[in-house]
Amino acid sequence: MKLRRALAVAYKEWREILRDRIYLLLAFLMPAMLMIVFGYGMSQDVENVALAVLDEDGTSLSRDYAQRYIESRHFAYRGHLRAAREADRLLADGQVKVIVIIPQHFAERLMEGQVASVQTLVDGSFTTIARTVHSYVDAINAAFDSGLRVRFLTARLGITQQRAAVLIQPVQLQVRYLYNQEARSIWGIAPSLMMFTLMMVVPILTALAVVREKESGAIYNVYSSTISRGEFILGKLLPSVAISSVNALILWLLATRFFGAPFKGSFGLLALATVLFIICASGFGLVISFVVRTQQAALIVVTILATLLAMQYSGILTPVSSMTGASHAIARAFPPMYYENVIKGVFMKGVGARVLWPDLLFLAGFGALVMAAAYALFKKRIRS
Amino acid sequence: MTVASMWTRQVAALAIKELKQLWRDRGLFGFVIYVFTLNIVLAAGGVSFELNHVPVIIHDADHSDAARDLTYRFQPPYFALQGEVGTAQQAMDMLDREEARVLVDIPHGFDETLREGTQPATVQLLVDASHANSGYLAASYASAIAGAFGTEWSQRNLARAGADPAGIPHVENRVRLWHNADLNEPWFHTIAELTTMMTVMCILLPAAALVREKERGTIEQLLVSPLSALQVMLAKVLAMVAVTLAGVAVALFGIMQPIYDVPARGSLVLLFALTAVYAFTNAGLGLVIATFSRNSGQTGLLVMLIVMPIITLSGTWTPFESMPAWLRAAMTLSPLRHFVDIAYSILLRGAGLNVLWDSVLAMTALGVVLFAIGLARFRRQFV
Repeated sequence: MKLRRALAVAYKEWREILRDRIYLLLAFLMPAMLMIVFGYGMSQDVENVALAVLDEDGTSLSRDYAQRYIESRHFAYRGHLRAAREADRLLADGQVKVIVIIPQHFAERLMEGQVASVQTLVDGSFTTIARTVHSYVDAINAAFDSGLRVRFLTARLGITQQRAAVLIQPVQLQVRYLYNQEARSIWGIAPSLMMFTLMMVVPILTALAVVREKESGAIYNVYSSTISRGEFILGKLLPSVAISSVNALILWLLATRFFGAPFKGSFGLLALATVLFIICASGFGLVISFVVRTQQAALIVVTILATLLAMQYSGILTPVSSMTGASHAIARAFPPMYYENVIKGVFMKGVGARVLWPDLLFLAGFGALVMAAAYALFKKRIRS
Repeated sequence: MTVASMWTRQVAALAIKELKQLWRDRGLFGFVIYVFTLNIVLAAGGVSFELNHVPVIIHDADHSDAARDLTYRFQPPYFALQGEVGTAQQAMDMLDREEARVLVDIPHGFDETLREGTQPATVQLLVDASHANSGYLAASYASAIAGAFGTEWSQRNLARAGADPAGIPHVENRVRLWHNADLNEPWFHTIAELTTMMTVMCILLPAAALVREKERGTIEQLLVSPLSALQVMLAKVLAMVAVTLAGVAVALFGIMQPIYDVPARGSLVLLFALTAVYAFTNAGLGLVIATFSRNSGQTGLLVMLIVMPIITLSGTWTPFESMPAWLRAAMTLSPLRHFVDIAYSILLRGAGLNVLWDSVLAMTALGVVLFAIGLARFRRQFV
């Protein structure tokens, strides 16, 4: 293999990219756009959930109780219902997702030291929203409940508020969120989107570069020339790795400056992992480009596989530790999860190579493997 | 033969040509099959946001019965105890490596404080919030565990303090989940995936069909034939609407209902009618894209550029109401935004046209506008 010939292919490739305006635009525009779109689109924060209240009691205590929900920043108050039968229609429409129903004799029962049952209807069709809303409702109810009980005990036993509070809730749980102190999902998502975007765009750029030649027939020039398989692959790879590295830098700036994600670790370590990941992703694109025949097919195959691997099996959406069986095995077999570990490590946790070396090793190993696969799959003969 | 029936027969003939072409394009045809079958199965088993065996480690400086009683409550399915750690450094290492995602830290004197009952006994909980949502859920489930533990002690201490625990007021909030009472994840995932991939298909297929004719130059042949531009475009749209309807029928009756018991609580006729409208709307968008691109590679990239924001920001996979107001306003232009409401409302909420009319109206209006733009641009380019 001669480096000079590989460079010649790379140079030719570069000039072709410069001439294809849409390709050029997309090569640099698409990554940034994907990151911004997904930055807003992937946040699993549950806020502004439409809430309605049915207050059948109508006392000052029941109003006080309803007010706790209305004032919560998690809910967007849409009004009071007049009768229980309105609930059906509102929930069927999807315009209201939570309805708090305070029954008659709510205040009366509580004043007598009895149990009062409130009912909350939650639209379960969007499971994540339902689950999170459930925990919001529990938290609001628990806060009201313990406040009420403390007041009751203070009056009944003639003790201090503090003493009553200890009697009611003797254990205090102090929660501290690690790595992402405000539990703001965008701080976690923006860095992960570097992984997702690269996994999406890099294989597309590489695959299109090869399949374009197949479609136009220019690949026959390559077949008949003296250039070796390795030189051709290297020449195709260099421009896409270079473009992708610039893109990775842009993405890093977007994550840290535009979305304000904290960056605690070593930039050099991230850069190393990023280049390794780009090589893996390019190799993935090359393998696909040798299998499919049209640009359309290349795009479709890459998009499906990349979305599946980068979204479902990388740990972006759900931690790998909570995956089971086949999902777990799939996640461990491909690079996205390992690069994601590095990203989480350097952005949020500030850990170094001491913790992350197995991930780097996997990325390097997978990169070598996929390149070998591409080399084996690329034939300078026409399949008959 | 009347002019009208002639006109329809021409469109029908062209539509059948489109279907034959799709059938012969094995790659694209295979993709269509995949999208409505295997893809749905994969999506159903995919991501769950429920806490599942979150690894918990304990740092117990008290070594009392009370401390052990509390820590043994962190059990599956939500949590999985990974054992005790000796030092804080060891705990941080495990958290850094994601071998543990929650640390319960019980201080020395926990048991004694509990028994005295004059001061609250504090427990520290460190939660890995790099996944903000699951971090929040882990913290709130842990709070529920600590709350239940506290209540038991509270009963004892109250009795000692001379108050009858049963005579203290208590507000109980019973949460009832509607439409999906068991929070069956595959229901949500299969519907979300079906609407998402339908969108991709409905935009990509007509765009690809039109651009292929541009690439091969067959478009000129069509235009010198006695066919109007409207007929050419309508045939492509109708063919793809038919493919989409067939695909949805396969996905719904072949996979979602038999395997995952996804209910259809509303009218299926209405669902398919509105699916056709939705496919038509997206086809309009696909045709607009096709008028902007020169070859299939460019079409693919443009489709991605437009489809990505649509499928991520329309509230299919993420809570729509949490997005900033300006973005929500912008997304009313996305047909999927309206169709997501329609699909969930008909399948799970059992809604009918009387509640869905506004979404239907918005979606139809978008379709008419997009189709008109596509037709106008197409005429300007070729006729």
